[in-house]
Amino acid sequence: MSEETNLIEKGKRFDGRSLKELRPLTIKAHVLPRAEGSCYLEWGQNKAIAGVYGPKETIPKHFADPLKGIIKFNYRMAGFSVSDRKSPKPGRREVEISKVCGEALARAVFLEKYPNTMIEVFVEILDSDAGSRVAALTAAAVALADAGIPMRDLVSAVAVGEIFKTPVVDMTKVEEDVEDAVDMPFAVLPNSKEIVLLQLDGLISLNDFKQAIKNGLEASEKIHEIQKNALLERYSPESVKETEPAEKEEKEEKQKKETKKKKTSKEKEGELNE
Amino acid sequence: MEESNNKNNNHVEETSKKIVVPGEFLGQTGKKRIGSHVFIKDNGMYSDVLGLLSEADDWINIVPLEGKYDARRDDIVIGVVASERFAGYDININGFYPSFIPKSALRNPLRLGDIVSGIVDSVNEVNEISLTNIRTFFDGEIIHVSPVKVPRMIGKNNSMLNVLKQGTLCQFVVGRNGMVWAKGGNIDLLVKALRKIEHESHLSNLTNNINEFLEEEKKKGELK
Repeated sequence: MSEETNLIEKGKRFDGRSLKELRPLTIKAHVLPRAEGSCYLEWGQNKAIAGVYGPKETIPKHFADPLKGIIKFNYRMAGFSVSDRKSPKPGRREVEISKVCGEALARAVFLEKYPNTMIEVFVEILDSDAGSRVAALTAAAVALADAGIPMRDLVSAVAVGEIFKTPVVDMTKVEEDVEDAVDMPFAVLPNSKEIVLLQLDGLISLNDFKQAIKNGLEASEKIHEIQKNALLERYSPESVKETEPAEKEEKEEKQKKETKKKKTSKEKEGELNE
Repeated sequence: MEESNNKNNNHVEETSKKIVVPGEFLGQTGKKRIGSHVFIKDNGMYSDVLGLLSEADDWINIVPLEGKYDARRDDIVIGVVASERFAGYDININGFYPSFIPKSALRNPLRLGDIVSGIVDSVNEVNEISLTNIRTFFDGEIIHVSPVKVPRMIGKNNSMLNVLKQGTLCQFVVGRNGMVWAKGGNIDLLVKALRKIEHESHLSNLTNNINEFLEEEKKKGELK
């Protein structure tokens, strides 16, 4: 009981959020110049980076489908992303998440336009605090759009559920570890409200389940808005000016000159000291 | 100096067309002719890609801002010989798979790494491309650009091509597949100009801006 009063008090959670409030979410598109599409996402303590390659020739060839393309989703957690060191070997959990997230994205992408090909999506979780699979999926959707791959819609994902029989949205690890907590990762195509990912860990009544879906749909609208803004941000006049190739080169040259100057002045000082 | 800064700011602020994201609602279907990258669902028109929306009373179209080469018949493409087989060559043309040219279609044998140009003869249902009119380039180098930005590098009535040719004095051929062959002149400047076009392709008045840019760079070169 004491734990309950600590975690939810007067309609507020232990970190000050209301029951339906998301953790702070920031998304930046096109962060990896070598990938065809990419995205960096920070969602509370979760940090994920996604890169997209393709469509390209399917390898191994027996995976190729002559009627549509395939999505190869690679979800991986960095060794330092959790409190105990995570083994770099892909485990059962990572294989499962890669499978469900890939299937969720396959519903959004026009794969029939790219027969015999594969689209590779790599998501690396750099820091995690519950809800990393939905963070990975949200980042991957932005990276796919950034790569210019035709899609029906973006995929907005969020973890909903309940703690102490109270429906909440976007739980942290502390909330997830509560006894009888229900965790429900949920992803949707925001325009058509088509649910493309739904997993459930725990026991939930039908009414609470309906409420959780409703909460998830509301939260996904907010996430969709942030995803859209991240994609548009890249082409805003300010960011175009900042990332102008000529200006970048000039800045780099200046930096190089400055570092050279510093080095030479340090060397001179060293000679004088000797 | 201040004036020139203002000029630079102004050209960046001009965005003439709306940018749309995948799944964005574009309006109800009516009598409009549908262009590329627009799909219809439940009597509504939606964008399927991140791109620039251009619209009139009777048509709607989206020009993508990113993406792979979408081959069409009669496109002029540039490629590099990737491997030799018994009956022909595999040419890397920036597509999903290499394109095959039979040896019977060539007068002289090719070598690995040779740069060739060709015209897309046909594209089949699995996006395999067959080429005709193969020509070999001697010397020169390949510059990779984004295939969706190629129309901006050519411009209306080749306006951008002329500006680039006059400004850099390079001989070059722009392939629709995002590969540019260039030789002679100031290739470094050409690369800079092409990167600038890629970067600002969604802004208006691009040809004039590139013209100004090339003149400025020329002056800088003279001063050095």
